[in-house]
Amino acid sequence: MEIELTRRAETVNELLARYGVKFGIYKDNEFKEQLFPFDTIPRIIKKEEFAYLEKGLKQRVMALNCFIRDIYGEKKIVRDGVVPEEFVYISSGYLAPCDGVVPPKGIYTHIAGIDLVQGKDGSWYVLEDNLRVPSGASYPMIAREICRKSSPDTFETYHVEDNRDYAKLLRWTMDYVNTGGHTVILTPGRYNAAYFEHSYFAEKTGAHLATGRELVVEDDYLYFVDYSGKREKVGAVYRRISDEYLDPMTFNEESVIGIPHIYDVYRKGHVALLNAPGNGVADDKGIYYFVPKMVRYYLGEEPVLQNAPTYLPYYEEDMRYVLEHFDELVLKDVAEAGGYGVVFADRMTAAQKEDFIALLKREPRRFIAQEVIDFMDIDILENARRTPRKADLRAFVLMVDEPIVWKSGLTRFSRDPDSFIVNSSQGGGFKDTWVLSQ
Amino acid sequence: MKTLRFHYHMELAFSEPVHSHVYTLKCLPKTTGTQRIETCAYRISPESSVREGADSFGNRMLYGKAEEAHSLFQVDVNGTAVTDITASCEEQEATDCSVYRYQTPLTRPGERIGELLARCRERTGELPPADRLRVYTEAVHESLRYEKGVTDIGTSAEDALALGRGVCQDYSHILLSLCRADRIPARYVVGMLLGEGESHAWVEVCDGGRWQGFDPTNNVPVEDGHIKISHGRDYRDCSINRGVFTGQARQRQTILVEVTPV
Repeated sequence: MEIELTRRAETVNELLARYGVKFGIYKDNEFKEQLFPFDTIPRIIKKEEFAYLEKGLKQRVMALNCFIRDIYGEKKIVRDGVVPEEFVYISSGYLAPCDGVVPPKGIYTHIAGIDLVQGKDGSWYVLEDNLRVPSGASYPMIAREICRKSSPDTFETYHVEDNRDYAKLLRWTMDYVNTGGHTVILTPGRYNAAYFEHSYFAEKTGAHLATGRELVVEDDYLYFVDYSGKREKVGAVYRRISDEYLDPMTFNEESVIGIPHIYDVYRKGHVALLNAPGNGVADDKGIYYFVPKMVRYYLGEEPVLQNAPTYLPYYEEDMRYVLEHFDELVLKDVAEAGGYGVVFADRMTAAQKEDFIALLKREPRRFIAQEVIDFMDIDILENARRTPRKADLRAFVLMVDEPIVWKSGLTRFSRDPDSFIVNSSQGGGFKDTWVLSQ
Repeated sequence: MKTLRFHYHMELAFSEPVHSHVYTLKCLPKTTGTQRIETCAYRISPESSVREGADSFGNRMLYGKAEEAHSLFQVDVNGTAVTDITASCEEQEATDCSVYRYQTPLTRPGERIGELLARCRERTGELPPADRLRVYTEAVHESLRYEKGVTDIGTSAEDALALGRGVCQDYSHILLSLCRADRIPARYVVGMLLGEGESHAWVEVCDGGRWQGFDPTNNVPVEDGHIKISHGRDYRDCSINRGVFTGQARQRQTILVEVTPV
């Protein structure tokens, strides 16, 4: 099957470049903006298959939200011995200042980016739950827009769910928790890796795009100050800066991109922050192991989606397994993200292995080990020829009165044929994700 | 039981005027199981609109913004407290002490703390926690010589112990490190001490559902002469003053505390 669109690859990529679809990378301490390479062959997900993913994703995000609420509240799951206490308190995502603070409508995971891969046998596995500030939805949004312009016939021929409603869903998510006032997208500024996305979302949702300098706290409320000095009350902030930098008066004192006292305003319920501070405790790689258990614990249901087979060297039994099957596993440092701190055991030299095993024994809590999943390859066009590459799927789940799964997603692929790492910060490319409507 | 009058004074002197000075202060003692705050009034200058709140540890906070240019920022707190450590059994707070069982970057033990703990263990054996604490408190007291200006707010327990000198904050961090390495939940406390001086720091440990204070700087259990202001996992959770301002000034902080019996 040849999709007409793929013959327009050059036009599409030229247009994406013209619209500034870029991704920032810091290399050797220098900021460089790179085009985010787009491949015109879409990932196609059939209607029934997506219905299955949708069910599993909703369930998973519901359970994660329950977990975060519990951890910063009653801590029942810890008391009941389902999640060991140290996995919570040693996690870098656990923030003590969030204890006892309930966000508007009890929502912590407003926008979740769940990373999945499909094995060769067709079964799906969740690799990561990104709950802090997951990025990427803007890329398939704008790519679809441009593809439709470049090849309108393609979308006449195929019945594809329209994904251009993401802005509407995002706006709804922000409005749902708004405590009264304007809606703001808070960006660290144009030297951020995802600045394109911040500005694109602001444009598409009608929210104000602001940096910390344009927001001030006065008498327990948050205000947006425009260029003329006029103040407007803010009721919701979709913040694209991490917890540590959000408020120097509560978190990292050195932060100059945050807003002093915004956390105190939030604590008093006078503004909504999306996503809620502190929810990194649930996207910790160590906590990931427990997500299927959370589904059973909070929802009393069997998990629809499975984790990649994961071992926790913290448990003696798992440590034994890891040492016995070391060469077959991929090891991940729980404190790292963005494809960093991931090592494939079979690619280590003997000396590296020895050092790593010593480290693993010394700090068992720091690592998880996973079976290497044999991904189903997806074709990309390279020099006008189809060639297979590893790819994953980031599905976006937005939380309103119940979770909503966006009928699209970001498919990232590795450009290096030998690599499993698809992160855009490591030079990967992306594809549109088509969900068929019939 | 003691009735104490306290006066807490903090000032920041800036080398040049600063403005848009945003601050959060944790300097108000609160009523707990072992102390009752009868009166407590504060004054902040330059005057600005001040809000009250509480952090997740239950500490009282004052926060606000001094907009206009100033070279001196002053906080005064005056009040009376009735302290009674024998009343501590009735204390309702903090049934969940899990968060205080884990080391923080400031308390994480290294080789020196490991050695100190091993030496203590030779003496403590299987003693109950309260008795082990007396041994630890004394060991910390003896391992450090009190000296100002050699450590700062970022000095870890391990570094202070290696240096062998420090102030109440360092004594407390080392004791916290020992307790937590021994799986005893322990928290950092900031407060005021009978007499004249600066603010003080000590440690509370959770033993049998009840928090008990130990003061490693003075090698004593906490008694009625201690007025508690705040607690947290380490110094960082309790810092009395956090602030950001606009201006290129150096700042000098002075704290004066006076506690007298009534």
